[in-house]
Amino acid sequence: MNESDKEETANGETIVQLDEVSKRYKQGTVDVHALRGLSLEIARGEFTAICGPSGSGKTTTLNLIGALDKPCEGKVIVDGEDLAALSRTALSSMRRDRIGFVFQAYNLVPVLTAFENAEIVLALQGEAPAKRRDRVMKLLKAVGLEGMEHRRPDELSGGQQQRVAIARAIAADPAVVLADEPTANLDSETADRLLDIMEELNRDHGVTFVFSTHDPKVMERARRVVRLVDGQVHSDERR
Amino acid sequence: MPGPNLARMAWRNIWRNRRRTLVTLSSIAFGVLLAVLFTGLGDSGYSNMIDLAARMGGGHVSLQHPEQLLAPSLKRTVVDADALAEKVRSDAGVKRAVTRITGQTLLATARQSQGAVFLAFDPKVEDASTLAVMKGKMEGKNFASANSKGIILGKKLAHNLGVKLGRKVVYTMTDKNGEMISGLARVTAIVSTGAPSVDASLCLLPLDTVRKALSYGSGEATQVAVFIDDQRKSDEVAARLGNLTEAAAVPWHVSMPELAGFITMKVSGTVFMEMIIMLLIAAGIFNTLFMSVMERLREFGVLLAIGFSPGRLFRLVMLESLWLALVGLFASAMVTAAPYYFANTKGFDLSAMWGKAGGVEVAGVALEPIWYVDIYPENALLIAAFAIGATLLAGLFPAWRAARVAPVDAIKLV
Repeated sequence: MNESDKEETANGETIVQLDEVSKRYKQGTVDVHALRGLSLEIARGEFTAICGPSGSGKTTTLNLIGALDKPCEGKVIVDGEDLAALSRTALSSMRRDRIGFVFQAYNLVPVLTAFENAEIVLALQGEAPAKRRDRVMKLLKAVGLEGMEHRRPDELSGGQQQRVAIARAIAADPAVVLADEPTANLDSETADRLLDIMEELNRDHGVTFVFSTHDPKVMERARRVVRLVDGQVHSDERR
Repeated sequence: MPGPNLARMAWRNIWRNRRRTLVTLSSIAFGVLLAVLFTGLGDSGYSNMIDLAARMGGGHVSLQHPEQLLAPSLKRTVVDADALAEKVRSDAGVKRAVTRITGQTLLATARQSQGAVFLAFDPKVEDASTLAVMKGKMEGKNFASANSKGIILGKKLAHNLGVKLGRKVVYTMTDKNGEMISGLARVTAIVSTGAPSVDASLCLLPLDTVRKALSYGSGEATQVAVFIDDQRKSDEVAARLGNLTEAAAVPWHVSMPELAGFITMKVSGTVFMEMIIMLLIAAGIFNTLFMSVMERLREFGVLLAIGFSPGRLFRLVMLESLWLALVGLFASAMVTAAPYYFANTKGFDLSAMWGKAGGVEVAGVALEPIWYVDIYPENALLIAAFAIGATLLAGLFPAWRAARVAPVDAIKLV
């Protein structure tokens, strides 16, 4: 990617670009084609849901965008960086600095408090403790967890844990937040509240969200819905 | 290094499975307890044996004629032995230095004769702290002076010669000029040391009487026996004293190779056993850490996903290992304190194991019936270092395994 491309990305245009991406897995002796030449662009500030039947490639797509996996063919460019060109350490830095993750099963670190979980990425970035504290307290307040910062994950409900996960994901101000079925384990009221929070963060702070989901509620509230079938984009609806 | 507080995370991680951690800590503590007791028993027991052997023979360091060791003879003397003893006493490492004459003699009574080893000493200068025989069960009295005409016999030797207290014995030996000389002595005491070979062969004579009989000059002797506080420094002291005199400075392990060999063999056995104990500790810790890592692969995947580097994960698991080692050492101190105190003050009475023999002798040294545990500080530190080393070593593979986690496989984002 040349300098002008990087500048364009920084100006809020394309934040994620998948270009003719294919991914095959070996399952026993059988090759499974998870993605077949998938091309997709996501702009800064989008609130995108990726949906589709099981095996359609939703998760593989998120894994590739999140620098957790590499494609067999094609290019994945996130925030101006071609992930194929990055070393293992550089990929760690990329995930730390530019990508936020929200998992279906929350995946908080059980030995850390809500505050410590939310601040961990900032700590990894080497932010000063005072600055970290300030930022994390604001975020916990924004996600409705004020006063619960000293609780450990096993002292929080599922919805509260997922809110901590969102705070952790956006604490370092990443280029994109990837959320894998974020409402799958939550009751509908909690899921609604969570979607409200993510919408607010998207609307008020410009955080880019990409979800993989089966949940019609998430699809309803997304401003863009990309439907995958057999590892290819079947439809791409913007609202 | 900036980043989350890994030491705190590691500390909390080791307590996630409290029962497993407690089992691991117990294995460290009991392993260290065994290692400390066995090492302390050896340190104290072998040190006592060496001290006892030194008091039975020529001291921790013997100053003697350079050829005396290979070709013992009453002709090979230290001419200015008394002056040399006085000189070496000024060395900071020397506790006592005494002049002696030792050699072979033939003892005879009206009915029997027998070869023996004699040791001539000054009763005004020596006591049980330099001459272990004095600590044995003595029937009769010590010499009144170095000029006395008495002789002290080992119990078995007296029995073989068929003599009792107050009876006369003739001793025959070769003097400094190669002439056969004889002297008459009256048995003033019969002693039982507990070492059968010593009781069957040793006799004690007054120093000046023997000097005169052997035509030695005043102050002349076959050895200056040097005693030091810490037998481990005998080489060091021997090297220092060797520079003060023409005489050879021979440390105990050179003059008593059988005893040195025995102790080396026993110490090697103890070290081997301790290595097995440490291996067992390491295996226990490895099991704990490896299980703990395998149970947390998903968590490691998440940590990698949010920006932990593989190196940071490696350090996290190694810190868990270090915490286990440190807490294990603390637990070891708690578990070891009371048994160590008991073994250090009361000791272990081994006499019940000796059965009818009533005593055990190693290389001419009677073992003490009660063995105390008294570990050298450097050996205690070595055990602690080994325990920490074994724990860290056991943590290496689990830490490496954690660092090798592929986040996409571990967290199963699907």
